[in-house]
Amino acid sequence: MNGVLRAAAVARKDLLMEWRGRQTITATGMVALLMILLLGFVLGSEPGRAAAVLWVALGFAAVVGIPRITQSEVEQQALEALLLYPGSREHLYWGKGAALFIMLSALLVALLLLLGVLFSVDVWTHVGALLGVGMLGIVGLSAIGTLLAALVLHVRGRELLMPLLLLPLALPVVLGGVRLTETILAGTTSALWILVLVAFDLVYLLVCPILFEVVMDEA
Amino acid sequence: MKAQTALGAAAVLLLATAVYTSLLASPPDAFQGEYVRIMYAHVPNAGVAYLAFAITFVTSVLYVWKRRPDYDYIALSATELGVLFTGLALVTGSIWGRPVWGTWWTWDARLVTTAVLFLIYSGALLVRGLSDDPQRGARLAAVIAIIGFLDVPVIHYSVVWFRTLHQPASIAPGSLKIAPPMLVALMLSLLAFTVLFAYLLRLRTRLARLEAGVEL
Repeated sequence: MNGVLRAAAVARKDLLMEWRGRQTITATGMVALLMILLLGFVLGSEPGRAAAVLWVALGFAAVVGIPRITQSEVEQQALEALLLYPGSREHLYWGKGAALFIMLSALLVALLLLLGVLFSVDVWTHVGALLGVGMLGIVGLSAIGTLLAALVLHVRGRELLMPLLLLPLALPVVLGGVRLTETILAGTTSALWILVLVAFDLVYLLVCPILFEVVMDEA
Repeated sequence: MKAQTALGAAAVLLLATAVYTSLLASPPDAFQGEYVRIMYAHVPNAGVAYLAFAITFVTSVLYVWKRRPDYDYIALSATELGVLFTGLALVTGSIWGRPVWGTWWTWDARLVTTAVLFLIYSGALLVRGLSDDPQRGARLAAVIAIIGFLDVPVIHYSVVWFRTLHQPASIAPGSLKIAPPMLVALMLSLLAFTVLFAYLLRLRTRLARLEAGVEL
C-alpha cells in the first residue's frame, strides 16, 4: 500500500466518523454562525464588513474544530493503534490534514451562502474566486492546524491552548483572506496577497509533516 | 563560575556606562527633545528579544534533530528571556509612543508583529508547562519555536501590507539618520543589553540543567 492510499484511508476514516456523528461540523458551524450574527449585529451588516467578518468567523470556527480531529483518538484510546499502522507517520498527517481541509471547505461554502444573505454581498458572480481564495487560506489553516491538533494531544487544557497557538500563527492567513475577499467583492484581485497565502501554504506544507513526526514520537 | 561572574561584572559596568551616555552625555533630539532617550532602552530591548528568538530557533532545530538535552536548556532559557524582553520592548515602545506619536498604541507592522511574537512564544512556554512529561514538553515547545520563527517574515510583511506610523529604522545600510553621539549611546546600550542577555542566558541555562538533574 503506498503513501497516498494510506493517507486517503486515514482521511476516509476521519470523514466517515464525522459523517456518522456530525459533532465537529455542527459545533464549528454554530460557532461561525454565532460570530457572524454577533459581529454583523454589533458592527452593522454593511457589505464592506463582510470579508472581515467571514475570516474572523472562519478563524474562530477553526479554533473550535481543530482540536476535535484528534479527539476521537484520545477518547477511544485509538492513538496507539493508529501509530502502529505500518508506514510513515507523515501519511497520518496528510490524511488528517485532508479530512480537516474538506470539513473547513464545507464550512466555507455554508458561510459564503450566509454572508450573501445577511450582508447582501453578491456572492454568486464571484463564487469561483471566493471559493478559490477561501480554499487557499484553508490549506494554510489545515496545514498548521493538523500539526497543532497533534501537538496539544498530550497537553492539559488543549481547548484553551488552541486559540493562543493557532490565531497568532495563522494571522497571515486571516489578513490575506480578508484583503483578497475584499478585492474580489470589489471586482478586482491582488497578486501580492495571493503570493502571501501561497508562500504561507508552501512553507507549512513542507515543514509541518516533518514536525508532525517529531510531535508523534513516543519517547 | 568565574567566567559567569566576569560576564555579570561586565554587564553591570556596560549598563552603568550606557546609562551615563544615554541619559547625560548624548544630546536631546531636535524633534523629540528628551523623549529620544527612551530609544536607548527600547531599541536594545527589541534587539535582544529578536536575538533571543533567533537563538531559540537554532537550538530548537538542533534539539529536534540531535535530541541532546543541552540544546533544550538553552532553548528554554532563550524563550523565557525573549518573552521578557519582548514584553519590555512593547512597554518601553508604548511609553515612547505616547509623547512622540501621541498614542500608546498604533496598528503599525512592527508593533503588531512584536505583539504576535510575544503571544506565540508565551504559547510555547505554556505548552511546555502544561505538558504531561518534561521531555515531551521540550519537544513540543521546540516545534512551536520552529514554526513560530518561520512565521515571522510572513506575519511581518502581511501586517505591513495590511495597514501601514513607525519611524523607518534609523540605521539602514548606506545611510545614517542619526547624530554620531546618539549613535554611540545607542550602540553602547545595545552592547550592554546584549552582554546582560548573555549573562542571564548562561545563568538560566545552568538553572535549567540543575532542575533537570533534580527531576531525574
